[in-house]
Parts: sequence; structure tokens; C-alpha cells
Amino acid sequence: MTIVNYDPRLVKTKDPYPKGPNDWKRFFSFNTDAKVIGIQYIVTALFFLLIGGLLGMLIRGELITPPSDLFDPTVYNGLYTMHGTIMLFLFLFPILSGLTNLLVPPMIGAPDMAFPKLNALAFWLVPVFSIVLLISFFVPGGPASSGWWSYPPISIQNPLGKIINGEMLWIIAISLSGISSIIGAVNFVTTIIRMRAPGMGFFKMPIFIWTVLAAQLLQLLGLPALTGGAIMLFFDLTFQTSFFRVEGGGDPVLFQHFFWFYSHPAVYVMVLPVFGIFSELFPVYSRKPLFGYKFVAVASFGITILSLVVWVHHMFYTGTPMWMRNLFMFTTMLIAVPTGVKVFAWIATLWGGNIRLSTPMLFCLGGLFNFIFGGITGVMLATVPVDIHVGNTYFVVAHFHYIIFNTIAFGIFAAIYHWFPKFTGKMFYEGLGKVHFALTFIGATLNWLPLHWAGLLGMPRRVASYDPEFAIWNVLASIGAFILGVASIPFILNMVSSWVRGKSAPPNPWKAIGLEWLLPSPPPHENFEEDIPTVLNEPYCYGLDKPFVEDEQFYIEKSLKKS
Amino acid sequence: MNTRIRRLKKKSFSNTFIIIIAVVLNILISLLMGYWSYSWLPIQASEAAHYVDNLFAFETTIGTFIFLGCTGTMAWILVFNRAPKYDESNGEPLEGNLKLEIVWTIVPLILVLAISTYSTNVNLKLENLGAKIKYNFGAEVPFVEEKKVFDYGPIDVISRQWNWEFVYPNGIHSSELHLPLNNKTNFRLITEDVIHSFYVPAFRLKQDIIPGSVITYSLTPTKEGVFRLRDAMFSGAYFSQNQTNVIVESEDVFYKWIKDTVKKEPQNGLNPAGRLYEKRLKNGNRGWATVKPAPDPKVNEVGSESRPHDS
Amino acid sequence: MENQNLSLNHKPGHIKHDGHNITGFIIFLCSESIIFFAFFVGYSVLKISAPVWYPEGINGIDTKMPLINTVILVSSSFVIYFAEKYLHKKNLWGFRIVWFITMIMGSYFVYGQYVEWSELTFSLQSGAFGGMFYLLTGFHGLHVITGILLMILMLFRSFLPDNYKDGEMGVESVSLFWHFVDVIWIILFGLIYLWQ
Repeated sequence: MTIVNYDPRLVKTKDPYPKGPNDWKRFFSFNTDAKVIGIQYIVTALFFLLIGGLLGMLIRGELITPPSDLFDPTVYNGLYTMHGTIMLFLFLFPILSGLTNLLVPPMIGAPDMAFPKLNALAFWLVPVFSIVLLISFFVPGGPASSGWWSYPPISIQNPLGKIINGEMLWIIAISLSGISSIIGAVNFVTTIIRMRAPGMGFFKMPIFIWTVLAAQLLQLLGLPALTGGAIMLFFDLTFQTSFFRVEGGGDPVLFQHFFWFYSHPAVYVMVLPVFGIFSELFPVYSRKPLFGYKFVAVASFGITILSLVVWVHHMFYTGTPMWMRNLFMFTTMLIAVPTGVKVFAWIATLWGGNIRLSTPMLFCLGGLFNFIFGGITGVMLATVPVDIHVGNTYFVVAHFHYIIFNTIAFGIFAAIYHWFPKFTGKMFYEGLGKVHFALTFIGATLNWLPLHWAGLLGMPRRVASYDPEFAIWNVLASIGAFILGVASIPFILNMVSSWVRGKSAPPNPWKAIGLEWLLPSPPPHENFEEDIPTVLNEPYCYGLDKPFVEDEQFYIEKSLKKS
Repeated sequence: MNTRIRRLKKKSFSNTFIIIIAVVLNILISLLMGYWSYSWLPIQASEAAHYVDNLFAFETTIGTFIFLGCTGTMAWILVFNRAPKYDESNGEPLEGNLKLEIVWTIVPLILVLAISTYSTNVNLKLENLGAKIKYNFGAEVPFVEEKKVFDYGPIDVISRQWNWEFVYPNGIHSSELHLPLNNKTNFRLITEDVIHSFYVPAFRLKQDIIPGSVITYSLTPTKEGVFRLRDAMFSGAYFSQNQTNVIVESEDVFYKWIKDTVKKEPQNGLNPAGRLYEKRLKNGNRGWATVKPAPDPKVNEVGSESRPHDS
Repeated sequence: MENQNLSLNHKPGHIKHDGHNITGFIIFLCSESIIFFAFFVGYSVLKISAPVWYPEGINGIDTKMPLINTVILVSSSFVIYFAEKYLHKKNLWGFRIVWFITMIMGSYFVYGQYVEWSELTFSLQSGAFGGMFYLLTGFHGLHVITGILLMILMLFRSFLPDNYKDGEMGVESVSLFWHFVDVIWIILFGLIYLWQ
């Protein structure tokens, strides 16, 4: 059975049905519906993207000139530390949790997550530790100022000697974030393992579900190591123990091992769902099957396993012996292989397709373009001799921003636009979306491409002032950053006005294949409720005579009826 | 032969021609980028620099080839495969191609193994890193037994929040690091407080300095000049100021400096962080918390904050 | 919209509503064990690389009393297994009594830990060893106390009518937790007390 051609008259359907979820107050309550929790996460995260972005603007404002003339250097150090911390723990992880919450139950045909109350708890921890972090700006001595890595001994120096200090609040906030993430991970993994629709074996799951499973398993295996390290750091800071305190026989490099044993897999936790998003969106906007579905699916787990044995590449020039550096260089280089499999599969998916350049597709293409560049600089960083020269310089800063912003944030924007009609029931304004893309792409490229050369020439990272020879790269970068700041305006305008007064969205505006597209927009409280479809094939069979579910027509007409 | 087959044969011939041209162009541009990449790096001032730069150029060449290959293909697709407006029909239903997928798994695997082997060889050639010996922090730094023979040294590199001090075997204390050209020199990397990093971009060498341990390190400067030494591991408030100069001079000039400087009266050495902190205190100590900077080091060779550097 | 075109000759899928809790709990325990493994690795690395491991004046720690504690704790794992068997056979009072014995044994362990702590001459701040010792034994002790509190909760719930209608997942989970606490202790005991 093929998908019915969607009827343009259906764009003018009524707003979501009367008993449907359109009471705004539910977003401010302890609501256990994964769709509500998902939106709570996403909106909270976008708010902190603006805060973290503002801190980024301040940083680039300081760095547009060589001397340290905007703030006192101690203030600069607090700003860049909190920029990194907020962007990672208050923007990236929550927004990915939010997208996962929104997408996983409908995509696998489940009514909700396995543990709805724990799900809500995991969300409500976010405002709690956000407030802890924001309060840390106002305690005597200022917030944590040793970088988001918080390496001892610098992070436990505690110059004012007070028990309550910025660093201590930072550790508490990170620990709460870890608890929230572990609760979420238990929830996601249990849901995916136990609550898939009948017929949906592992090799019929959407790739997004594969990557989410891979990412959440990494959270489960890696976060406890960070928690252990954070507890020991907390004790060193507050109770004068000597796990990492050199005077008592502790070892600062041990902290680095604990920290990176989690934080390297953490970057894969962030990028894997975005790989999943690319794998979902490219087929839709090329109207072609995903090329090499099985290889792409297995590659997700290849990345997971390898990412657990590469962490020392963040320590190539710290206190590690040469044999360790060589070993981990070797394992790090291997990760390029499953990642390359995915990149080539996406390009092959585009090949021979019927390409539509809607806003979600623009962000995916931009994200892929940037990722190829960022991945190549990553392979350069994996080789020890080059890393010894460019490690801890702006080359690394440029590389990781290329991945975190130019790939991951692009993928997140793509996902928000793509699934916005499904979960809000409204269409967004395509024109504003394209403006957002153009400004973001130009700003992001201008912000981070020049910084590669600053790093190659030897400009260290985390500096508030620098030698004048680096000025030109920094001026370009700061201009790019300010353009990025401006780019947030069309995005916010689009999101708010579309949700409030956009056109009603049909169940399947993109004519995509997937269980979520067989639901009304927005879906009812328990998605398919008692009537879950039986899955026959993976959701990428565009143009093939392979039906997605049994009785597809029944579900399509049901979703149109409810709209 | 009917027209349709003739047209298809012509199409596949012109397609192959285009692909060959594209690949050749790609190779040429990649080689150009590889050649160009040397100019993105600082002056090569140590024995290590040549090896590192060659590795980087190799990676740039291969990276450019892959980048242009992938993005060029994407550009081609975006030009020739765009859906006409309102057209929502499907594209070619290709699900996969096992041979292709195996090729693009195996070839990158071989490539990364090759790059890893090349890099390991470079690592072996560099031979800079010595032993890391733990000691009782606060006590005297232990003497390290060295198996290798060096032309000069050991020079003690003492890093603090936020200045550098170099102690020479004959007792000179200096704020700038003078080194003899083409001599394999060894160092003892020491810190008195937090983790710092000994980074000289012109040498392409960086080694973190860990409190509670002394790390022995060696290098051979191969070019005369003044090169920046920067602390590359975040170490607190005035971390950006924790920089000094490495002055590589010919052996004659160097040994003359050794002879003359040991007689000089010790004075306060380079400590721009100290000056900035004093200014902050004068302005009412406004700002977030910081430890006090280490006092000015007492040195024979004061050095110069305004000395221009080559790289 | 018309209803007659909607054919109902398909079988609606059905969601499994049970069994999630055990899966979730097992996944959680795997994660929790990694914190302990992180501490174990930290202990080992610090011990191996330290020039001097024990604080001044300490040559080692007494193993006799901790060994008795260990035997009690490990045996309690067998006792809790029998409690579970009684519950499975729907012998509620058999379950309650044996469950209570487990709680007593666990409490003895905690008491023994407290006595050992009070007799030690080094503190949390006594170098890397002091910190690791109290961190490991304290963190483990917290888990034992949590286990006992959970067992109290299960004991109360056993008095509610029809408590086990949908299965015994609560008791199964707490029992699993107790075994986990036990295994962690065995490794910990080997690491701190046997490897000296």
C-alpha cells in the first residue's frame, strides 16, 4: 500500500480537537506526558542557549582586541567557564533529552515512556540545578572559574577560603545534572527495549532510535565515572581531602582520567542523536531510502563501543606516558571509520534523489557540510605530534565548536523545524526559517573558521588577552559571533508567532514515512492509545513496494479524522 | 545500434570524463593546500618542527581531498537533483550497495591505520619526553638519573602562577630562556602550585607541568631568533600573562651570556601578572576571586617585556 | 468524516504493561556499579603510584573485625534469598521473619562499620589513603543503610492486602539491590583489607 497523496484542502483543518492537549498551563506543572516534558526541556534549553550565547558574545567582545580591556581577567575566566557549562549542561543535554522525549514514544508506537513520573522528575531537576548555577554568579568570589573541566589543583584553590563558593555550587549543579541524565537514560533504554510496536524488530527501528539507544547506553556507562570524580573533587574542595591535592599525596592527572572517561563519550552522546536526525531527514527531503540502513545502524554501536576507549586523546600532552599516547591515538583514529560510513551513507542517500530545500533540509545539509570539515580537523587532532602543537589552542576551540554548534546545533534546529508541525499542530513560517539558516550558517562559519589559523599559529585557549599577531583572526571571529547573535531573532520570532497563530498543520506535511507521521498533529495524550500498528518494514522505503505498517490506509485516515 | 543506447553510452562516457576531471582537479587542489599549509604554521625553530609540519601537510592534503570530494558531490546533487516546485515524487529507490559499503568501510580503515603508523613513527623520532617522577610536594625536587646524553642541561623550568623562572646548571636564574643553537638540551619541568604548560609554538612542542612530579624533557632548537613561550594550560586569573621569550643563539653568544650573566646582581624578574594585580588592588580589588600572584622571581637575567618575537 | 471506509480487520497492537520495573532497576544497578568501579580504579591507581601509601604511623589496618562483618553480610545474601523463596510460595509470615533477620544482619554490619571507624587512628584528611578508605567504606555503608530502609518499606507493604497481586517486583528489586551491595563489598574488602 502506498501513502495517500495529501490533499491541499487539509491544510485549512481546524485547530487540535477539543479534548486535546492545548492548555498552556500544563507546561508549567509536574506533567508526566512525554510530549509535554519534551517541550518543557526544549523551551528551557533554548532559553539557556540565549544565556550561554550572551556569555559567548561577551567573550568575543573581550577578544576582539588583543589586550584585556573589557573585564577584569577573573571575570573573563568566570564568563568562559559558565559559557561552556551552561551551553553543555543547560542547553545541549536538556534539548537532546527533550527531542528524545518527544520522538521516542511516537516513533516506536509506545503510548509514553516506561517510567512517566521519573521522566517528569528528570525534567524538574533541570530548573533546580539551573538556579544553583545562576546563583553561583552572586556568591562571594564569583562563579566557578577554572573552565568547564574544573581541573584540580586550580579548581580547588578556593582563594577566599569560604565553604560556599562558586566551584562548590558548580559541582553540586553538575552532580544534579548527572542524576537527571541517569534517570533519563534508564527511562529511554527501558522504553526502547520493551515498548516497541509489534513487528518492530531492531532492524526495523528508525535510525534515530538506534542512535538514541547508543547514546543513552553511553550515558549509563560513562556518567558514573564523572560522578565519582566529582564527588572526590567536592571532598577535596570542601573537606580538604587529598584525592587530587598534591600536598597530601593525591594525583591531579587521576582527575583528568575520571573526567574524560565520561566527557569523551559525552560528546558522542551529543552527536549520535544528531546523526540520527540526519538519517531521518535526508530520506524525507530526497524522497529516497536511507542508503545502507543496516550499516548505518550498526555503525552507531561501533561508535558507542569505540568511544569508551579513546578518552586519553584529551590528555596527549598532560602527564601521560608515550605508550599510552600511541595506544589511544590508534583507538581514536578508528572512530573515523563508523563515522565515515554514516557520512558516505548520507551523501549516497542524496544521490539521485528529488531534493527539496525546506528549512529542515537546509540545516541538515549545512550541518553535514560543517561536520565533514570538523571531522577532518578531528582526525588531525587525533595524531599525537599535531595535537601536541595545537592542543589547548584555538585550533581545538574551532574544532569542537564546528562539531558542537556547526553540526549538532544545526541538527537540533533541523529537528525542531521538521517536527514542529507534528508536536505543536502548527506550520512554521518557511521564509523566516530560511533567513535563520542563512544568518546562522554565515555567522557560524565566520566565527570559527578563522580561529583554526589562530590556533595553528600558537594562540592558547582560555586567554583574556593575546599577542597582537592573532588580532585579525579574532576580529573576524567576533564579527561572526555577533551575526550569530542576530540570527536568534528570526528563530525566536518564528517559533513564537507560528505556535500562537501559524496555519494548522496536517498530520504529514512532509509526506514522510514514520509512525509519528501516522498520528494527528499534535498527537493525542497516549499516541496510538490501544490501537498500535504492526510494523512491516523500516521507515525508509520511499519508492519501493514495501509497505511500512499493516493497514496503513486505516491509520492515515484516522489521523486525518482527528485533525 | 539504436539511438537510445547510443545516447546512454555517450552519457556514461561524458559522466566518466567529468568524474576523472573532478578527481584530478581535487588532487591538484589538495596538493596545493598541503603545500600552502606550511605557511599557516609558525617558523620552524626546532628539530621536531619539520616532522610535525610534514605530518600536518600530509593530513591537510588528504583532508582537503576528502572534503572536496564529499562536498563537491553534494554540490553536484544540489545543482542537478533539485525537485521542481510542488513536485513531491520519489527519487531513485536505491536501498544500498553492499560492495560500495564495504569499500567505504575498508578504505578509511586502511587510511587511518596508515596515518596512525606514520604518526607513531614521528613520535618515536621526536623523543622529547623523559621520565615523570613523583616527589613530596614542597620538598626539594629530586635529581633525575638520565640514561641519554645531552649537549646542554639540565635547565630547571619553574612555572608559577604567573611567571616563569629558568635555573641553569651554573646557577643563573633567568626570566627568559636562552638556548644554544643545535644543542640537544634537557629540562626539568617543575611547578610550584597548579598545572601549567610549557608551550613554544615555534618548536611545535608542548608539555604540561604537573605539581608533585618533575618531568624531564628535551629538545633541539635549530633556528636562531626570539620565540614565544606560552603557558597553555589554564592556570588562573592572569594566565594570559604567563608568557616569556625563548632566545636561541649561536653557541658562542650563548656561552658568553652564561659567563656574563652569572656575575649579575639578582633583581626582580619578569612578572606582568604582579603589576596587573597591584593595579587591581589600587582600584579597590574589584573582580572575582583570585589567589595572589607569586612574587617576582629573583633573577640574574631580567629579560624584557617589550622584546619583539619572531614567532 | 465518514466512518464506513475505516476497516477494522486489523489487530491493534498491545503494549506490555508489566516487567518494566525490573528492567529499569537492573539498568540502574549497572550504572551505579560503575561509580564504585571508578572509586576502585582510583584507589588502585593512587596506591600503586604513591611513593608512600599509608599515613605516618600506620602500617596497615586490622582485618579481623571487618572479616566477621564480611561473613555476616555475605550470609545475609543467602538469608534474603530464602526470604524471597518463602514469598514465592506465598508464605507471608515465613517471608516476613526471614526478611527481618536479613535486616538485623545488615544493621549489624553497619554497627560493625561504625565501631571500626571509631577505633581508627587516621581521618578522612589523612592523605590519599585516608580519603579513599572513608570514601569507599562510607559510600558503601550508605548503600547498606539505603538497602535496610528499602527493606523496612517492603516489610510494611507486605501487610497491605493484595500487595502481591501484580507480582513481587518490589521485593525482587530490593533483593537484587542487596546482592549488589554484597558483591561490591566483597571487591572492596579484597581491595582495602586483603591487598595491603
